[in-house]
Amino acid sequence: MSGAALPAAPALPRMDRTQLIVWAMALLPIVVLCVFYFYPLMRVLTISVTEPEFGLGNYRDIFTSSAVRRVVQTTLWICVVSSVVSLFFGYLLAYAIVHAAPSWQSWMLLAVLLSFWVSVLIRTFSWIALLQTRGLVNETLQVIGLIDEPIRFIRNPFGVILGMVHYMIPYAVLPLMANMRTIDTRYVPAARGLGASPFGAFWRVFLPLSLPGLISASILVFIFSIGFYITPALLGGGRSTMVAEYIALQVNETLAWGQGTALASSMLILVFAMLVVLGRIVKFRTMFGAA
Amino acid sequence: MRNRTVTSDVETRVERFRQMTDGQLVNRRTFLNVLGVLGVSAGVFRMTPALAQGREIVLVNWGGDAVTAMTEAFAEPFMQADPDHTVYVEGAGPSSGAIKSMVESGAVTWDVADRNIPASLELGRQCLLEEIDYTIVDRSKVRPEHAGQWGVGSYIFSNVICWDTKAFPDWEPTGWADFWNLADYPGTRTLRRHIDGQLEAALMADGVAPADIYPIDVDRALAKIAEIKENTIFWGSGSESQQLFRDREVVMGNMFNTRASVVRRESDAEIEFTYAQGIVWPGAWIVMKGNPAGSAVFDLIASMQDPAAQVVLFELLGNGPVNPEAAAMVPEALKPLDPGSPENYAKQIPADAEWYAENSAEVLNRYIEAIS
Repeated sequence: MSGAALPAAPALPRMDRTQLIVWAMALLPIVVLCVFYFYPLMRVLTISVTEPEFGLGNYRDIFTSSAVRRVVQTTLWICVVSSVVSLFFGYLLAYAIVHAAPSWQSWMLLAVLLSFWVSVLIRTFSWIALLQTRGLVNETLQVIGLIDEPIRFIRNPFGVILGMVHYMIPYAVLPLMANMRTIDTRYVPAARGLGASPFGAFWRVFLPLSLPGLISASILVFIFSIGFYITPALLGGGRSTMVAEYIALQVNETLAWGQGTALASSMLILVFAMLVVLGRIVKFRTMFGAA
Repeated sequence: MRNRTVTSDVETRVERFRQMTDGQLVNRRTFLNVLGVLGVSAGVFRMTPALAQGREIVLVNWGGDAVTAMTEAFAEPFMQADPDHTVYVEGAGPSSGAIKSMVESGAVTWDVADRNIPASLELGRQCLLEEIDYTIVDRSKVRPEHAGQWGVGSYIFSNVICWDTKAFPDWEPTGWADFWNLADYPGTRTLRRHIDGQLEAALMADGVAPADIYPIDVDRALAKIAEIKENTIFWGSGSESQQLFRDREVVMGNMFNTRASVVRRESDAEIEFTYAQGIVWPGAWIVMKGNPAGSAVFDLIASMQDPAAQVVLFELLGNGPVNPEAAAMVPEALKPLDPGSPENYAKQIPADAEWYAENSAEVLNRYIEAIS
């Protein structure tokens, strides 16, 4: 009966048919997203205002709990430091790639993307194998006599930041590269020709022009950094508890689901707010180099 | 009309699948897992009684060696005695969060889980567990304190001091005061990133008499832990605590006797541990509310009370037999390793289940704050 309500297909103009196909193709992903993403997300938001009782108590507790404050502080300083370091190295890499000979560019980009494709868990374990007390780096340094006692590289905040920076550098490189490619390569030589020092030409001409890329890369990298879970858990020695891990603790161990989901929701809102800011600065399509 | 055809088509397929599953082509657990992945509640399919009430019993523990060991010690003897049932040992890790989400969503696929008496109180009071059926499970095969309303003793384990004998030759710690003594016994320590058995250790190191540990003075314990936190790695999983010793990242640690005994065996006792001032825990079987196997699970739990089976588990994993009768059956050479042997039990303090059930959640958050 419902089938009879559908208009006969051949009567449709060509354009509408194309649109219909596009919508039909989009339907499955939309349904999947609704069922597996938006519905659970709504439930998370609901739990944050209904458990243990109805109201905004869980959100109030975020501001009054000293444990949450401690965890948020740890998260913020680790995220700020790792984002800044990622941006620094990302900027150098992007600059080098954009200014390299064309035949080199694709190889350099491939090197960046290769690390981008390796799972975060494997990278984290690789760092452990390399940097632990009896790891390759410490053993080598001891054999060649540079150090007597092994250096503690990991299972401390340094380890967490190292692991995070390694993960986030590609996220800094890609938007920066997309931006730097739009900068006219004749500007810097022109500035030099007008008497600017090499550093002056970079500082007063190239850097300001690359600022939009730098801002979008920094927001993107920072958004990634606040959600880190595995890296701090494995490289932090149990002492660098960040928000994601604290949420997992509330959900799995203390069963304070209201508190955990309130924190998760707050993080989500923060990320959305940053995305809105980001969207005002740069078009998302251009961020990863789409024309 | 078309809708009706579609519905009847789905019904036919489900009916066929139901017949297939009855014919053991797909076992119930796989089927339920598939449904879980699809986000479909099992109830949707109105399963036939044969499927729903289950000839299968799922025992869930914390994975690794425990899966094969519990299969050998418990599942196989039970299946031999009762060929109508199949026991699956699964190592997914029955965390409180996993149990709560499973029970509250009505998609329970586990029957019995490997936890402890304090957790049984905490979860039982939140209506997430079935009460232990003592008409089937034998109360007299455990000590009175190990026969709880929602959990019955499964094995005994301890938080013990473990140390590297290469770092400290011809020496043995006498208690937690030595553990905290960084001046005389330098080197990195490891504590658990969880309060169980850690706060007690800190208090004993601070000079509190073992008899006066409970109720725990949390402020004092956290202050004592803060003293050594700069020199401490906090382990998350039992296997991580073992790895820290294997890699010689640490020289002393507060870890489970079960994990310590495996590292000790691997290293030819280069890594040693002692029960001096250990904290003893009663592991417990708990049953998920609305478990699929129903009361058959208590037959399994009753069979796991067999002292011989518990000795097998002890030999494989180091989990001390909880049935007092089993102590005599432990081979002479292994008796020093048994946390429940009369000599070892006397050196340790029993964990206070009631204190943990009441305070665990709040104090855990404070602990995380204190070590950060």
